[in-house]
Formats: sequence, structure tokens, C-alpha cells
Amino acid sequence: MIDPAAPVLDIRSVGKTYPGGVEAVRNVSLALPRGQLLALTGESGCGKTTLLKLINRLEDASGGLILYEGEDVAEMDPVQLRRQIGWVMQGDGLFPHLTVQENVAIIPGLLGWSADRTRARVAEWLDMVGLPAGDYADRYPSELSGGQRQRVGFARALAGEPDLILMDEPFSALDPITRDSLQQEFRDLQARLGFSAVMVTHDMAEALIMADQIAVMQDGAILQQGTPVDLLEAPASDYVSGLLETPRRQMRAIRELGA
Amino acid sequence: MNANLAERLAELPHLLSAHVILSMTALVCGIAVSVPLGIVAAQRPGLSAVTLNIASVIQTIPGLALLALMVPLLGGMIGFWPAFLALLLYSLLPILRNTIVGLQGIEPNLREAARGIGMTDAQRLWQVELPLALPVIVAGLRTATVWVVGAATLATPVGAASLGNYIFAGLQTRNWLSVLFGCLFAAGLAIVLDQAIRWLEVAARDRRRGLALGVGAFLVVLIGASILPRYVSLAGEAGPSNQIEASAAPGIAGETVVVGAKSYTEQYILAALMQRRLESAGARGERLDNLGSTIAFDAVRTGEIDVYVDFTGTIWATVMNRPEPVERHLMFTQMSAWLWEEHGILTLGRLGYENAYGFAMRRDRAEALGVDSLDDLAPIAGELEIGGDPEVFARAEWTATRDAYALGPMRTRSMDSTFMYTAVRDGQVDVITAYTTDGRIAAFDLAVLDDPLAVLPPYDAVILLSPQAARRPGLADALAPLIGAIDATLMREANRRVDMDGQTPAQAAAWLDGVISE
Repeated sequence: MIDPAAPVLDIRSVGKTYPGGVEAVRNVSLALPRGQLLALTGESGCGKTTLLKLINRLEDASGGLILYEGEDVAEMDPVQLRRQIGWVMQGDGLFPHLTVQENVAIIPGLLGWSADRTRARVAEWLDMVGLPAGDYADRYPSELSGGQRQRVGFARALAGEPDLILMDEPFSALDPITRDSLQQEFRDLQARLGFSAVMVTHDMAEALIMADQIAVMQDGAILQQGTPVDLLEAPASDYVSGLLETPRRQMRAIRELGA
Repeated sequence: MNANLAERLAELPHLLSAHVILSMTALVCGIAVSVPLGIVAAQRPGLSAVTLNIASVIQTIPGLALLALMVPLLGGMIGFWPAFLALLLYSLLPILRNTIVGLQGIEPNLREAARGIGMTDAQRLWQVELPLALPVIVAGLRTATVWVVGAATLATPVGAASLGNYIFAGLQTRNWLSVLFGCLFAAGLAIVLDQAIRWLEVAARDRRRGLALGVGAFLVVLIGASILPRYVSLAGEAGPSNQIEASAAPGIAGETVVVGAKSYTEQYILAALMQRRLESAGARGERLDNLGSTIAFDAVRTGEIDVYVDFTGTIWATVMNRPEPVERHLMFTQMSAWLWEEHGILTLGRLGYENAYGFAMRRDRAEALGVDSLDDLAPIAGELEIGGDPEVFARAEWTATRDAYALGPMRTRSMDSTFMYTAVRDGQVDVITAYTTDGRIAAFDLAVLDDPLAVLPPYDAVILLSPQAARRPGLADALAPLIGAIDATLMREANRRVDMDGQTPAQAAAWLDGVISE
């Protein structure tokens, strides 16, 4: 049985060294309480995407322990593990030869749901992400806008009813207005459904707005971890202050316009 | 309808069906080999480089050579299997290359998405990678289809029937209608199959079940209709021909006898003549035409044909590998003994005429240059060009003649034997290596040069029976009347009727049969 008080994800002293000696992730420990959104942030090459892929074993850790719902992922079948965890990637990752309906129905299909149950749930998910099934189910990804495609991407990740979703820069390819509304809708969905999420983003403002917890990474290691308020009030180093400076300066600039 | 067109149309069901069966089986097996190989190789850069290189090398071998090479590789077997194997190899490259390129061209992003949502490797391949690579793979398949249907016309010289029979036979007998028939039907077949595959792809992409069923049904009907004539014709020909009561020799009535022919007019006429004789004896004569020179010998050795006509000089030089020719009658006797002892092949006898290689020039030009014999060519050899059939310049006769008469400076030009007579008539070459029984020597007023050193070997036409046929006395009985019955004048006239008057070989054979029977 799943203990609601236990963390969904418990990462302990995890490292990843590639053949050739490059250390992408060094001695990372993190815990994700149920229902929260954790943002992994830092500059390109800091190891945040690699860390994300260690969780659903798209990459295998070289050392340490990752517990998902209390189970060591290294002991689990990677395919089964990935079907239990939602996966959203940059630029949607939809299959261009499948319709919206078929893209969303993939995971229920992999999980062996009945056709009736799949159809009903897919329609529900599409409605939930703001794409009424009647209008969108039979369209192909190429017939949708970027924002619509990303919505389908969310519906696909949620279709297997996972309690954890992993997201790699899910909003970075969208225009600012679409991004803003999708960020809000995602938080509403999360509040409604109660799943947990880990999101990789290089955009500190996005992390501050959306996340319950933020982990700042540099050279594969975590520099600081805490709530957005923790970070803003007590940045642990000059590097972290530097990352926070960009959103702060933008905020000041807007305020000075006096609107 | 004229006789030529009627004869060509009568051949169509058999040749078209043989062509469809040959190219379709090669293609289907080609797909079965190259798509899985491409899938495996696409994930391994080292392997994909190696397999693509091997397939490219195969592709650079000219189609005719690849087909011919399969015969010795299969231990002298002729017919369907060597042709099938060569075409299968020929189909590999485009399908293999496009499978690899199509799979490697898929965005890494999509591959990762498939893994990230929990597809197994097999699910990723079937549900994502193959559907996305399908248009590229199908493009390769269409290229292979057009290549294989085209190259299947080259199956004729290795003894597999195809639309190429029209082209090879037509080329040799100057029957342009026949050549055109072969080209049009081969091209038409290639276009039809190419379009059928295109529509199958459209049906798969747009998931139009009706269209897929329609095209599938069309292909099934096409293949079914191709297989059908094989059985229908067997049933239809089962009744013996109406000549049976004429002279039913014991032993071969109702039996099948396969008559072989190389790919030129004289061979077609003689094969048709032997077929007539065998059918008069109540046998069912089948033909295997357009065999390459050594392939015909291999075929009689292995019993794939029962009988054909060859020449003493050819067997002497290319089969027995004797460099020096000997006196005519001695050669015949030694060759007959050798064939019997080595291979159990029975030399039934000489037809009576000799068809040697002879060096021929336009008479007026020979006179102007003061040339009577090969000796006279040496001083002006550097200014002359000699044309010959594709095999002659590789044969011992040519090298021996060249060395004996100091003809080394002469430029050589290979061409199909059909064209060399007009080439020398029109002054495009100065000398040709003519066949001495060809009707065009007289018709074009060519002079055959003397051979004072007797370098050129004798070429007596002989009937050869396979070891199996040699044990069927009725077969020898039926053909025996032809021995000594055809002199050079008769043969030249029969050739002339086909090459100059546009008769079919069957018509010329009927004429020849009539003259012999008188």
C-alpha cells in the first residue's frame, strides 16, 4: 500500500558517470512530497535533464538509490516503470502519423485497457486539457498550433493515470501568452488531480511561478534546494543570486513603468 | 493479322506469366531479406556500412553478367533458379538502403518519446519507426520493382523464359516487332507494378481499407493469371499433334523432348526444324531458346535440354580447351570420343554444312586495297577497324589469327552480330568476323578473305544429345534424317529468308524441312 505521507520520489546520493569519465550527475539527494511540483533548474549542461532521465531509467544511474513509491527503480522493469510515470518532452514529442485520439490512447493501449474504457477516458482527458474530443480527436498533430500540441502532450502523459509526471522543458517552445495560460492550467490540473511532477526548466521565472520546490544545479551537483521563497530570501551562493537576478530585474523594470 | 504479329501474340501468355512470376518471387524474397536486414543494420552503424557496401558492389555488376555468373555458381544449373537468385541480389540495394536511411532519418526526439512513454523496442519499431519510415522504404521498393522487372528481361540467356525472349530473339532475327513487344510489355509491367505499390502506400497512409483491398485483389489476380497459363497450356497441349500418324517412331511418342538454341537466327531455325521432326515422331517438343554459348553446353551436359546444335571448333576451343586446331575430320572424331567419354554426350552426326568464322570485307573495298587474303591485311592493319560479335575477340581463333597474320594494330569493336553486316556494308567498320553461312554475305556482296596458313579451325555443325537423351533411341531415330542433309547453300538460304525476307524461324524451318524431305 502507498503511504500518503511518504514521498513519491526519494533520490539518495545518486550519481551518473558516462563511459569516458564525464560526471553528469554528482551525489544528488532529493525528496518529492506527494502532490508537489519540483523544478530542476540551472544552465545548459548542468545535469538536470540527465537527472530527470535517471528517474524513469531512460538512463541508468551509476551509483546511489532512486525510490519511486518506496521501490528501488533499479529493481523494476524499465518498460513497466515508464508506463506508470507520465513523460512530457520539449516540443511535444507527438507521433505525426497518429491522430490526437491515437496519440493519447497509446499508453492505455500499452496498459491493456479495453477499447471502451480507453475511448471514454481519452475523451475525458482531451476535455480536461481544453481540447473538446468532438473537435480535435481525429486531427493530426500537424493540424494543431504549438500550444494545442503541447496540450495533447499533457493529455497523453496523464492518460495512464500516473501519480508522477516527468517534464523536460515542456513550455520552452511556446510563445509567452500560450506559455502563461498553459502554466496556469497545468497547476489547476495538478491541484484537481493530485499528481506529483518533476519539471526541468532553464527559466528561473517559470520555476518561481510554478514550483513548490526548486533545486538549482551546477556541474551535476545541487547547489541549493528549497521553496521559491527560501531561494529569494536566502540564496546560497552568488551563482544562485545571479540566476534569480534576471526575473527580479524584469519585475523591477515593469514596476518602474508605473502601470 | 500478319503471321509475325500472330506468332508474337501467341507467345505472350507464356512469356508474360513467366516474367511476372520470376520478378515477383525475386522481389518478395528480396523484401523478406532486405527489410529485416535493414532494420538490424540501422541500429549498428558498422554493420550498415558493410551491408550497404556489399549491396552497392553487387549493384555495379552489370545485370547480364550477374545473371550469367549465377550459372557456374549453381554448378551449371540453368533456368529459373539462377535468374531468380541474380534478381533477388539485384533488388537488395534500393530496399536495404532506403530501409536504413528511412529508419535513421527518424527524429531522435520521437524515438525518445516512444521510449519515455513505455514502449518496448518491438512496439517502438512497429508502431512508430516503421510507419514513419514507410514512405522512404516504399520508395526503395518501387525503385527495386522497376529495376527487377527491367533486369528480368536479361534472364533469357540463362534459360529462364521472360519478356526478354522477344528482345533477344527479335534482335538476332532483325524482327523489330518482336523487340518492341518485349520492351513495351516489360515497361508496361514495370509501370503497373510501380503504381500498384504506390496505391498500397497511399492506402496504408490514409488507412483506406477499400483501396488496399482493391489493389491487393488486383495483384492477386495478376499473379493468379500468371500462374494459370502453366496449367492450362499443359492441358491444352496434352493431345498429340495431328502429325502423329505420319511416322510414329517407337519410344518417344507422347514424351517431352527439350530442344535448346543459342541466340541467333541459324540456331532458331535448326531448333524449330528438330522440333518439327520430333513432333512428327509423336513427341512433345519444348524449346529453350537464347542460351548463351557455354550455357547451352552446360544445359545438355546436365540434361536440362535434350538436344541442340553446336560446332566442332567451338567445343574444341572453349570446352576441350585445345589451343591448336586440327584437321576437320580428325577434330570431329576426337571431339565425339571426348564428349562421350567425359560427359556421356552423344554426337549424333554432322548436319553437313560448316559455319566458320570468316573475315569479310566489302568486295569493292577489298579490291581497291588489293586485299585477297588475311596476309594482305598486315601492312595496313593500323588503319583498319574490325567488328565482331561479343565473344569472338575473347576466343582463341581471333588471337591465333591476329598473331599469325600480324593484325595486332587493328582496332576491334564488339557489337551484336545482327549489326555487323550492315556496319561493314555502310563502312562503319572495315572488316568483320562473319559467319560463313550468313545470307548477308552474298546479299551485301562481301568478300570472305582466304586463310592461307589455315589458322581458323573448322566449324562443322553437329547435333549433340544429352546423356539421358542418348539412351532414348527413338529420339536419335527421329533426328537421324537431318544428318548430312543440310549443306551451306541450304543453310544460307534459310538464314536469308529470316534475316532478309522477314520470315519467322518456324517458317524457314518448314521450308527447309520440305526441301530435305524431297
